[in-house]
Amino acid sequence: MGNFLRKDLLVLLRDRTELMILLLMPILLIVILSFALRGILGGDTSDFHMDVAFVIEDDEEQGVIDFIEDLETMGMPPEVMMELERVVEEVKPYTMLEDLMNNESVSNMVTVEELDFSEAEEALKNEDVTAILLIPEDFTYHSLKKMLLNEGDGSELKMTVKDYSSIRTDVFLSIVNRYVNTVNFETAISQALIDLGHGDVLADRAEGEVMEAREFGGVESISAREPITSFQYYTVSMAVMFVLFVGATIASKAYVEKKQHVFNRIILSNRHPIVYLGGKMISASVISFLQLIILFLVSTLAFRTFPLDEPAFWGGIAIIAIILAICVGGFASLLTALTVKYENDALNHIFSGGIVTLLALVGGSFFPTSEMPEIIGTIGNWTPNGAALTAFLKWMQELDMTTILPYLIRIVALAAILIISSILIFPKRRSL
Amino acid sequence: MLETEELKKVFKGKPAVDGVNLYMDKGESVGLLGPNGAGKSTTISMISSLIKPTSGDVKLKGQSVLKDPGIIRNVLGVVPQEIALYNELTAYENLKFFGRIYGLKGKELESKIQEVLEIVGLKERQKEIVKTYSGGMQRRINMAAAMLHEPELLIMDEPTVGIDPQSRSHILDTVRHLNQEKGLSVLYTSHYMEEVERLCDRVYIMDHGQIIASGTKDELKSILSGEETIWIDLDRPYPDLVTDLQSHDGIRQTIETEKGLKLIVPKGSKLLGSIFQAAERHQAQILNVNVQVPSLEDVFLHLTGRKLRD
Repeated sequence: MGNFLRKDLLVLLRDRTELMILLLMPILLIVILSFALRGILGGDTSDFHMDVAFVIEDDEEQGVIDFIEDLETMGMPPEVMMELERVVEEVKPYTMLEDLMNNESVSNMVTVEELDFSEAEEALKNEDVTAILLIPEDFTYHSLKKMLLNEGDGSELKMTVKDYSSIRTDVFLSIVNRYVNTVNFETAISQALIDLGHGDVLADRAEGEVMEAREFGGVESISAREPITSFQYYTVSMAVMFVLFVGATIASKAYVEKKQHVFNRIILSNRHPIVYLGGKMISASVISFLQLIILFLVSTLAFRTFPLDEPAFWGGIAIIAIILAICVGGFASLLTALTVKYENDALNHIFSGGIVTLLALVGGSFFPTSEMPEIIGTIGNWTPNGAALTAFLKWMQELDMTTILPYLIRIVALAAILIISSILIFPKRRSL
Repeated sequence: MLETEELKKVFKGKPAVDGVNLYMDKGESVGLLGPNGAGKSTTISMISSLIKPTSGDVKLKGQSVLKDPGIIRNVLGVVPQEIALYNELTAYENLKFFGRIYGLKGKELESKIQEVLEIVGLKERQKEIVKTYSGGMQRRINMAAAMLHEPELLIMDEPTVGIDPQSRSHILDTVRHLNQEKGLSVLYTSHYMEEVERLCDRVYIMDHGQIIASGTKDELKSILSGEETIWIDLDRPYPDLVTDLQSHDGIRQTIETEKGLKLIVPKGSKLLGSIFQAAERHQAQILNVNVQVPSLEDVFLHLTGRKLRD
């Protein structure tokens, strides 16, 4: 197999046209598309900005006063009262929301305008704002009661948006969700400690946890869903698209080998024909993997697309790349089997000229599928390139292998189907 | 060593090879002679196990190749009519790849590569890309690739088509050397009569998918032992003279050639006087006259009524 790989690499390295298609073209497209379409992705914060309207019907100070008064009527020991009052100052829900919005990373993307409800509705209608966030009356009071005393039903923020499918809405929603999660986290901790009768510990714990949680809420919400820049998106999307061309390229070489009777020479060496097919599969897989890594590295070195100094990040990228490369090997294997069986190169042209473009479109290589109808995104995630694109992007955002596992399993399953089909189709003995 | 039994191949209802029986002994050099489309390449593709016969069998040392292609593939080297090489690789890289395919490696591989390069006379140019070679040099590497694994039997399918005289001569000398000095069995197909005459001990003549004659060169020529060939060079074509000679009772065949005429006449028929008289009647200027014993070309012409390169 190494012999085939060495030979295929040498042949490819000396074919400048193919090299340009496989390496130079995607790099050019990464640059062109990244600059042309940089506004549509979340990571390009200089071009990505949204205004949101806050409609504040709550009076935070009054809410705190009302809550303290409630505490006084409950007859708690003075030391617990004191500690709770201190904690209240730390976990005032609206202040936490304000802090989050003032965080530099968020404020770069989101500008908050305080409007009354009718003004906000008008602004949303005119698309001056992306969303309205209503902080209802007695939000502070009800939230604190729920958080610290587990009384009542708490309070709900009300978000109104015009377009749920837009990326901006999605980003803002994720920020608000993170805030809500943080508040819920506070609530859970406080209640657990109170239920256990550790009122004295509550103060100490609460202060520590609140600080940690607030930091978590402010920073983690951004790092957990780190927005993707256009350079990152198009580096990945072009890579997963152009890697498919390797399949057709390798199968086309098989056609030339058949035409030039090199294939006969190989068969006459008494090697089992499957060795030849396996050679093609491995060559395509290795070349695909190298192509992916070269594109990622070139993009990183030229445009600082990805962090160079994070081994865990690159480890995940390598795993996804290997799995996608094996799938491309499967494509090469199937196309080779069909090419050799029917002595026809037409299928390779159809694959590289039409099928790859279709897969690229559905898989989100040209535009994010979130900008397209939902059904396209669903179908796209079942294509090898689409699934790989999603896996790469999710990995970049969350660095969590379990999140991307379903996508990797799809790619592996497709690779297995392609390889088994090619073995069944490939001529086994003499009718070559 | 090798024999075919009623070998037949039908493509789309038409027989390309129709009941071919041939054999060759170890160390023999056998020619398969015939015009383009005679079925030579199909025959050797079946012998070398690349295509399956419609009927019949190929046997190597008594064993059926049809049942187990591996038995012939292990001892066979094939030099195809096409340049079966990677054009983008150097001669050395090509030989290294094909050597490894045959299971050679390390020093043995290196030594075999250098040995075959020496044989085909391209040792000095082994690092050049194949597509930069002349047609003749490419054919020589094509041959080298078939010899790497030291085959017992070498099948060569028109290995000198379209190459310069120097390379052609080199290839023919090489084949002769391998056959006579190294005892390699050679099955050589060609439509160049002189190549087969030069290289082969025995010859099979094929036409329309069938063997129409076989034997040693002398045996085949004895088919025409009662005839001789008269070559007449003329200053220009004389159609009336041709018609005149064709109607002559003593002349068996009159064929126009590039330089004039070729006449097949009974041996010792003393027809030169009549021929000169006919030329005088048609005011034809004779530049040269040559009387020859028959060649394999003449035998082929006699058997098929057409020339090898028709």
